[in-house]
Amino acid sequence: MGRLDEAAFAAFHARSVSGLRAYVQRVVGNVADADDIVQEAFLRMLRTTLEGDGEEHWRRYLYRIASNLIVDRWRRGKVEQGLATVPERTAPAPRYEDDATVAQIFGELKPRERALLWLAYVEGESHDEIAASLGVGRRGVRVLLFRARRRLRDLLQARGILVNR
Amino acid sequence: MTEWFDLNPEEERVVAAFMSRVADLRMPSSASRIPDAAALWSKARLIQRWDAERRAQRPLDIMQPIEIAGGLVAAGLLLYWSLPHLL
Repeated sequence: MGRLDEAAFAAFHARSVSGLRAYVQRVVGNVADADDIVQEAFLRMLRTTLEGDGEEHWRRYLYRIASNLIVDRWRRGKVEQGLATVPERTAPAPRYEDDATVAQIFGELKPRERALLWLAYVEGESHDEIAASLGVGRRGVRVLLFRARRRLRDLLQARGILVNR
Repeated sequence: MTEWFDLNPEEERVVAAFMSRVADLRMPSSASRIPDAAALWSKARLIQRWDAERRAQRPLDIMQPIEIAGGLVAAGLLLYWSLPHLL
């Protein structure tokens, strides 16, 4: 279990669980699935001999596991069922003050796009940090992030929220 | 912070504002089903132990049918060789 003993894990868990839960919940769009993923991510992290030392390394590793679990679950179609609980898109909404519209727009992105945007904008991570969190190359992050932001921009434009291209 | 290289400032501002709204979204309130740290630690250790037992057991599981097959072959050969003496 590397240098992560029980006391260190308890401290790490206390500091990281709420942030990870918020990340997974927002990317998955389903609270029950998110809690399953968070639990599984912690369990997998604990069952692995961590090579690096330090909480930041553990955190990156934890986010990477969670991100992979999200994508796996999405591929199996479970996440799509969860996203189906978001209200159906109807007429274009010119503004997005209400939570349902924000959730709906964000839910139209692919899970990986949601993960990228969350890590970049909400967590404020650099390309290198996102690459470590998602287990992809740094160049890949730049391209994927570009596509995710462009897709979000298009979704916002389609609703009249963003008018100038 | 991530450096941007494609959207214009207005687009970037709107995307960033939208993501700020996403960050503030509240999920439907429900009690967390995530076990506490002590429970996760115990569960992980238990699963590790099961994995270790399964790894240790695997050669035995593999060998068992081989042993049975070997025993049957040996019994067959023994019967084959001893049959002329028995008749």
